Amino acid sequence: MFNEGFLGTAAPSIADLILLLELAMGAGLLAGAWLARKQRFQQHAWCQSAVVFLNLAVIVLVMMPSFQAHVLPKIPAKLGKVYYSLATAHGILGIAAEITALYILLSAGTGLLPERARITRYKTWMRGTVALWWVALILGIATYARWYAPHFFKA
Amino acid sequence: MKNRNLRVARLAAALALGLTWPTARQKGFTADAQQTVSLAEVKIDNFSFSPAVLTVPAGTTVTWTNRDDIPHTVVSSDDPKAFKSKVLDTDEKFSFTFSKAGSYPYFCSVHPKMVGKVVVQ
Repeated sequence: MFNEGFLGTAAPSIADLILLLELAMGAGLLAGAWLARKQRFQQHAWCQSAVVFLNLAVIVLVMMPSFQAHVLPKIPAKLGKVYYSLATAHGILGIAAEITALYILLSAGTGLLPERARITRYKTWMRGTVALWWVALILGIATYARWYAPHFFKA
Repeated sequence: MKNRNLRVARLAAALALGLTWPTARQKGFTADAQQTVSLAEVKIDNFSFSPAVLTVPAGTTVTWTNRDDIPHTVVSSDDPKAFKSKVLDTDEKFSFTFSKAGSYPYFCSVHPKMVGKVVVQ
């Protein structure tokens, strides 16, 4: 976990791996959206479900422990620093996107939710979630750059 | 009468303690002053520890100071870990006293490229 990374930045290998995985997941969601447009709903469901559950595992196993160790002890006192504010914004929006995505999966793919708690306007919810996901992803890329490649930020 | 004797005895004890306490304190102070305490510093800046290798006598307290504009940690590479700092923000410090001779490699857990070593003689 604490080995040197392979992308040429100061990041550990796990951070490099997660960055590439998250980019692939972001692309996967877009591919899943394209499948829905092509009326291939079964494949669309499998694609989006795989991305959402893989992301859930990454959040629980890697991102939350890292956030707890490196960011949580410094907030709210140091939120004025880009280093912490980027990571916090990424964390909040990322969790929101993941929870919304899980809610859509539960609503669309299972009968677990009561009728009145289910979504009716799927397209709006799904498009909104993909947009939120990508905002969180872009903030994640910015967080990676600030933490591990700070020369990008120096004048 | 017994109560009066008890009060006198208490007063005498208090006076005796009061007279001897400064002497005892001075002895303690002298004993503390006779111990040689060594201090050494490592600066964290621009994604590196400086000096990267620090040689010190046993009993030295090494202090790492983060002069970088981003957070770093100081974590022993040994297993079990001899020392581990919290995340050090800019200008925050971490100290550890090396009591035993040996070689103590360490790294930054946020940026594992950053490595250093303390050699205790």
